[in-house]
Amino acid sequence: MSKPSKKGVFSKIMRYIGRYKYLLALSVLFAAVSAILTLLVPVFIGDAIDLIVSKGKVDFAGIGSILLKIGVVISVTAILQWLMNIFNNRITFNVVRDIRNEAFKRTQILPLSYIDTHPHGETVSRIIADVDQFADGLLMGLTQLFTGVITILGTLVFMLLIDVRITLVVVLLTPLSMLVAKFITTRTYSMFQKQSEIRGEQTGFIEEMVGNQKVVKAFSHEDENLEKFGEINDQLEKCTLKATFFSSLTNPGTRFVNSLVYAGVALVGALLAANGAITVGALTCFLSYANQYAKPFNEISGVITEFNNALVCANRVFELIEQQPEIPDDVNATELNDVYGKVDLDSVYFSYTPEQKLIENLNLSVKPGMRVAIVGPTGCGKTTLINLLMRFYDVTGGEISVDGKPILTLTRKSLRKNYGMVLQETWLCEGTVRDNIAFGKPDATDEEIVAAAKAAHAHSFIKRLENGYNTVLGEDGGNLSQGQKQLLCIARVMLCLPPMLILDEATSSIDTRTEQRIQKAFSTMMEGRTSFIVAHRLSTIMEADIILVMKDGNIIEQGSHDELIEKNGFYAKMYESQFI
Amino acid sequence: MFKLLRFMKGYRKESILGPFFKMLEVVFELMVPLIVANIVDIGIKGDNTAYIFKMSLLLVLFGLIGLSSTLAAQYFAAKAAVGFASKVRFALFEHIGRLSYTELDTVGTSTLITRMTSDINQVQQGVNLTLRLFLRSPFIVFGALIMAFTVDAKAALWFVVVIPILSVVVFGIMLISIPLYKKVQSGLDRVVGLTRSELSGARVVRAFCTENREVGEFEERNNTLTETQKFVGRISALMNPLTYVIINLAVIALIYTGAIRVETGIITQGAVIALYNYMSQILVELIKLANLIINITKSVASGNRIQSVFEIESDQTERENAIVSADAGTIEFKNVSLKYKGAAENSLQNITFSVKKGETVGIIGGTGSGKSTLVNMIPRFYDSSEGELLIGGVDVKEWDTEALREKIAVVPQKAVLFKGTIRENILWGNENATDDDIYSALKTAQALDIVMKKDNKLDHLIEQSGRNLSGGQRQRLTIARALVKKPQILILDDSSSALDYATDSALRKAIAESTDGMTVFIVSQRASSVMNADKIIVLDDGEAVGIGTHDELLATCDIYSEIYHSQFKKVVEK
Repeated sequence: MSKPSKKGVFSKIMRYIGRYKYLLALSVLFAAVSAILTLLVPVFIGDAIDLIVSKGKVDFAGIGSILLKIGVVISVTAILQWLMNIFNNRITFNVVRDIRNEAFKRTQILPLSYIDTHPHGETVSRIIADVDQFADGLLMGLTQLFTGVITILGTLVFMLLIDVRITLVVVLLTPLSMLVAKFITTRTYSMFQKQSEIRGEQTGFIEEMVGNQKVVKAFSHEDENLEKFGEINDQLEKCTLKATFFSSLTNPGTRFVNSLVYAGVALVGALLAANGAITVGALTCFLSYANQYAKPFNEISGVITEFNNALVCANRVFELIEQQPEIPDDVNATELNDVYGKVDLDSVYFSYTPEQKLIENLNLSVKPGMRVAIVGPTGCGKTTLINLLMRFYDVTGGEISVDGKPILTLTRKSLRKNYGMVLQETWLCEGTVRDNIAFGKPDATDEEIVAAAKAAHAHSFIKRLENGYNTVLGEDGGNLSQGQKQLLCIARVMLCLPPMLILDEATSSIDTRTEQRIQKAFSTMMEGRTSFIVAHRLSTIMEADIILVMKDGNIIEQGSHDELIEKNGFYAKMYESQFI
Repeated sequence: MFKLLRFMKGYRKESILGPFFKMLEVVFELMVPLIVANIVDIGIKGDNTAYIFKMSLLLVLFGLIGLSSTLAAQYFAAKAAVGFASKVRFALFEHIGRLSYTELDTVGTSTLITRMTSDINQVQQGVNLTLRLFLRSPFIVFGALIMAFTVDAKAALWFVVVIPILSVVVFGIMLISIPLYKKVQSGLDRVVGLTRSELSGARVVRAFCTENREVGEFEERNNTLTETQKFVGRISALMNPLTYVIINLAVIALIYTGAIRVETGIITQGAVIALYNYMSQILVELIKLANLIINITKSVASGNRIQSVFEIESDQTERENAIVSADAGTIEFKNVSLKYKGAAENSLQNITFSVKKGETVGIIGGTGSGKSTLVNMIPRFYDSSEGELLIGGVDVKEWDTEALREKIAVVPQKAVLFKGTIRENILWGNENATDDDIYSALKTAQALDIVMKKDNKLDHLIEQSGRNLSGGQRQRLTIARALVKKPQILILDDSSSALDYATDSALRKAIAESTDGMTVFIVSQRASSVMNADKIIVLDDGEAVGIGTHDELLATCDIYSEIYHSQFKKVVEK
């Protein structure tokens, strides 16, 4: 992926912020006013101090009116600051919400190939962590960047109004503090990189070894691991110490420069005051400016780093949001209704990547109500076939049609609605058992739901759950066993009962008893429906009307069980191997 | 948390010197307003240019001393914190290595990983910050207070009023917002949960065409999160304006009091300036302190979590004079029952059988019937709660655990490989194996073709957790890893589930041929995998419902024939 310009990302962000432009304008205005008012306070205090000269020479009336002015100014400032903070919060969190919604919506229309090829954790981190990081940067930018700039300019103007010479001292010395800060950060950058590299290595090691501690123990490998861990740990200690120490120098360094500025102002200012060129109050005012002048500079450099970071993160989210979605349905696409269940594959070609050919010239004709068993070793393309039938992926050549209608001319929704799908991974949504069964038909009545559960042989175990149909399942099914989850998935399909079925017969992790129940449920469901079954069990295979034997993406044999045994090919070999 | 401080032992010097130098820095910082007051009162009022020069130089000097003490403080703090964390990490890793299967089950490995990584980092940061800053802020706040009193006791009373008010505001806002931040976090968790679940269920969602509903649900959760965030934001937004008002009101009061005191000639103009400066120093430090406290609270919580791992003691004890060497070929279960920690019922109930050297034992049964539990007891991953288990005629608890495990090779259900070359992975089984040994193990494990297809053969790099290999390839390599050990007992715990029938049977045949005298346990759900074993144990709900050969069981054991027939239905009729 080409590196997008910062400007491009920035203008995209502005599109989101643009929705809140009035809030933003107010926030900027308030920031400017409160920054200037804040700068006025030291001036007033300087004035007040000038009225407190010495014993008997105190102008109480003057002080009183100045103090009143200070009171008004700080009250106004505080209110403006508060409002500004609230506005900034609102802008930031709303923008974040909008971006997240947009990103999530995009995940719903992305082609499945994106979801299959990108680790889910990475996509989640784009939607969550990156957006959070971006929010931090944005909030900081909003609150500090503008205020910082106004403060710097305002201070400069105020200082110039009081005395040019002292201003020069401040202006000349302050950049030193930024230089120091910059010097330290560039020096420590490589140390931090080293640190995170070694830390990454260590984390990887920990995840691997602690995560598989049982294997480690089975091979009595604890001592070897400890030794290796010790080595990495020592390395980490060394470079962490360096990185931590050197990076912690920034604050003292800039503080020292600040004290130089302070001393410089004190010197020049005091000499001038002694000559009567400025008042003591003006000196006080200068000293407090000198104390604070470096702060916005450091803040701004912090904001800039943070903001750069935020741009990178924003860009990662935008990459997701701008990801090419599934090719939309054809404008003339028709709804698929009243399906008989005739499915034809006509010289179908498909591969996930152009370099690696998978399905080539696949032909198949399935009559309504037929049971098609798909068998073959792992990775032979069984799942791919399902992907193509459901249009999770589109063929690269040839045509698939249902009832004689090419599926590319149908709306995806209507095509998918006509298939009932039970996969090996039993995915359930967060919610009650009822919600899960009614997943495809949210307006189903209780009677319908119970009937579906009964048909799926799930009713009896659901009844035994603490809250029956109202039992809340956590993320991914919670405490249900694999078999129970599978039964719920079947009930889910049972409720809609579409005219065609796709079943991935999952037997590896289910006990025999439950398996038999699932089998019964499957049979009920398949009655009179065109079914594609990724089959693992011999009995299913033998009951099928047609068996597709797949290997390396090709259907190498097809026919009924007897025909295939007769043929004495790959299938016959697989079949016999069970009896060795 | 405080128990963890034992790891600070070697850093006593650092942990005293760090704060000490920090204090030094503060002392010099607190002198500055006094010097300025003197500049005003003596230098300016007395038109004493030399004094002004001298004092300005003093300011620079103090700055320098402050800088060097800070550097020293930072160094000692970093050294102590990093060294401490490093020691904790090492000790924790060692401790985790000593935990038994039971403890690993109870704690969960993902928890342990978090303790090892983010929790320790948090503690390191906490210790560092504590040593560096925890004393600085109070020093400055109370130092400023004391200095104010030395300037003028009456005016300093304002400090006594302001410090508590400021503390209440700063800490109050924090106390109110911390639980709210937790709410934000849980709102975020809900958003993360939905996103993750939606990605893994993308096929189902699309098959049922419920995309719009998912988007609606997401927007709702997202909105709740945003509202909570804005609410917390409104509260924390009070912090700056409120403290700003308070401190400036105090300044107003201070100046007014100062004016009265100067009028009566008790203090000078410079003293008023000094008081004003001290007041300004307080605010910054209080806010820093509050942030620091949050950070330390987090660290203490992390520290406690780490300590709780240290407190897990292994429940398996080694006998003194444990038996190191004996022939391990024969195995005898005598009325063995096992109840997992925290479980309500026994996972294994009254198991009795014996195995002769060189026999092959098949174990079959449904999920949760106790198959893995049974074989996991042989290398003493779990101890029996009742009955005894004899290996080579010796009670497993009398064995030296390491020596026992040397004689047993396990191929676990989950095929795990580690980052490194294929060779390194196989050598886990036996570090002295030659390449010939490795190749012959690979051949038996039906894994030779995997290696031969790779350009670098045995030097082919396997990624973390073996993710660049398919499930079936990983299983075969883990079998090779076990075989290279040339164990007396080989346990295959459902370790051919990802293999197709043909490979599975070739594998069993090869193992039977090449492992003369080796006792083999095959755990499986497939009748075809165990039917040729010398002895088949049929487990149902933790009980052995049948022990015997295939033919015997077919005739006598209902469950076995049920399993068999469900997998070979019509074949038998033919």
